[in-house]
Amino acid sequence: MDSKCRDSDSNSPAFFDRDLHVRFLEMMYDLVPSAYQSQDINRLTLAYFVISGLDMLGALDRVDKDDVISWVLSLQAHPKNEAELNSGQFFGFHGSRSSQFQPDDNAVWIPNGSHLASTYCALAILKTVGYDLTLVDSQSILKSMKNLQQPDGSFMPIHTGAEKDLRFVFCAAAICSMLENWTGMDREKTKNYIINCQSHDGGFGLMPGSESHGGATYCAVASLRLMGFLEDDVLYKRAASCIINIPLLLDWSLQRQAIDGGFQGRPNKPSDTCYAFWVGGVLRILGGYKLIDEKALHQFLLTCQSEYGGFSKFPGELPDIYHSYYSFSAFSMLEEPGVSPICVELGLTDVAASGL
Amino acid sequence: MDSDEEEQKRVPLSRRPEWSDVTPLPQDDGPNPVVPIAYKEEFSETMDYFRAVYLADERSPRTLQLTSEAIHLNPGNYTVWQFRRLILEALHADLHDELDFVELIASGNSKNYQIWHHRRWVAEKLGAAAMRKELEFTQKIFSIDAKNYHAWSHRQWVLQALGGWEDELAYCQQLLEDDIFNNSAWNQRYFVVTRSPLLGGLEAMRESEVRYALEAIIAKPENESPWRYLRGLYKDDMESWVRDPQVSSVCLKVLNSKFNFVFALSTLLDLLCYGFQPSQEFKVAIGALAPDSDPTGGALETNLAIAVCSLLERVDPMRTNYWKWRKRVLPAQALAVNVE
Repeated sequence: MDSKCRDSDSNSPAFFDRDLHVRFLEMMYDLVPSAYQSQDINRLTLAYFVISGLDMLGALDRVDKDDVISWVLSLQAHPKNEAELNSGQFFGFHGSRSSQFQPDDNAVWIPNGSHLASTYCALAILKTVGYDLTLVDSQSILKSMKNLQQPDGSFMPIHTGAEKDLRFVFCAAAICSMLENWTGMDREKTKNYIINCQSHDGGFGLMPGSESHGGATYCAVASLRLMGFLEDDVLYKRAASCIINIPLLLDWSLQRQAIDGGFQGRPNKPSDTCYAFWVGGVLRILGGYKLIDEKALHQFLLTCQSEYGGFSKFPGELPDIYHSYYSFSAFSMLEEPGVSPICVELGLTDVAASGL
Repeated sequence: MDSDEEEQKRVPLSRRPEWSDVTPLPQDDGPNPVVPIAYKEEFSETMDYFRAVYLADERSPRTLQLTSEAIHLNPGNYTVWQFRRLILEALHADLHDELDFVELIASGNSKNYQIWHHRRWVAEKLGAAAMRKELEFTQKIFSIDAKNYHAWSHRQWVLQALGGWEDELAYCQQLLEDDIFNNSAWNQRYFVVTRSPLLGGLEAMRESEVRYALEAIIAKPENESPWRYLRGLYKDDMESWVRDPQVSSVCLKVLNSKFNFVFALSTLLDLLCYGFQPSQEFKVAIGALAPDSDPTGGALETNLAIAVCSLLERVDPMRTNYWKWRKRVLPAQALAVNVE
């Protein structure tokens, strides 16, 4: 084990400590601390962060692929028959057992709490561990996903009612992309909703009229990319041929790199590690990633590296799974040795995304 | 009261007589659960009882109370919230009390999507009568965190669905007086100016809003928000933006102050790219900012846009690569600008 070169003024090593992060993820894979119990409904999302994170760090061998596959598949909601499939419900994946019930339970009804974001995470995990997605019942997912699309093109994540915004547009687009089947959505309506979310300053808000925000901007741009509405050379095309305002988007995104080298989610807000992925990812998709100050970003990210492994949101705070995953993704885009390349618009390693 | 005290005071459901008829339903994780969570006893028990009554579809005062407990522990669980809504409907509950409940939960969880969705559901049911209370509620949240994204989304929904536009522009003004850097307040201002049914629309409001933005720029030229807002006032009408002398003159004013002029430079660059014809004063101002160095090797004498890019590379080093790229892709109309 190399001796760590320590910054004399702080506890953080001056390099990306891959082995430490692998151990952090392994710990989470085995048992997530009780502080996360309030994220119980999204356990599948936590699993996605851990498993895709291990994949990125070249440590997927730490995962029991069969266990993962059987657990993930067990979370899928299946319609009993054709009538149920057409009842208006969404048949995707549950985020955890907490809202899922077995058919033989002594029940008055079998609730279906499957969720669009959980479905995205489930498919992403299955792709990561190399499961053949043609074996998944994708017809139920795609057919019933249409029930979640709203007249304005946005998506609701569950059929019983929830907020509707760009996050679920992204989930829907990623699901269609991974299943290689776009019958799950009306692409034209989706495109128009995304366009309506571009704010006067070039970034995208979560809903039309909302303040432009790094995470929302990623959802918009990644979705358009997945849907085939953004070509590789989009930065060099004439304004008239683009469905969104690219120069303004580029300028807004690059302005998000703050004086400390990190990325902020909105103007005049502090830098936060996850925006290195959300906004960095936007720039990468547009073909403008090399326009940032990579060295400054690298330095900022390391100030958020925890001695326990993982990354925190801000320097000096405790790490969490979410910020750790997006920091790893950011290091991937910075081409950090030991971190695999990622398919930014899908949120998977290139290898996982290609299905090889 | 901290959480330890709360746990000590809490009587487990298994020991409450009013729950003695219910058999809790444990979570069946399966044989090899992945990423298991170390649930605390209180959490497991509450959710086990919830599962039992949820499956039995019991909609009663006691299950309403149970959802309160489950929500306190687990405000992100949308299944619990959804069942609570069914119970509230079944009991014909007073939804004004429900607004109070949401406020209580939100005080510790103001960035939770489920809470805000529930609040919206309640407000929708109460209709226009809820409008004032919703505006007050979001205002309370803003007094703690003036940039809370969820609260702003909710407020925008309230205005569009329930009304209350009358005082919104004034509210934005007040927030901006508190903090001129509050980008959320600038966005809300844009929202009001473009969507309020009481104002004349963007073009009608443009003149007064341009004056407002210019004042903010002069006060704090390093503030990104008013620069973006100013540009936004012209929306897709770049020709008007370029032709408005107030836009270029505020750039000149800031450049001449030689202080916090990065956005003035980038705005000037954008103007040039859209066909702005600068006067001699601009060349003088740029020259004064880069007196001894001439990195473009004489280009300062002929092309202003190139000089501006070079200057930006120096004064905005974080974005050096971007300004270099901008220089390479300058459109013909910017390159044609030879300042006498």
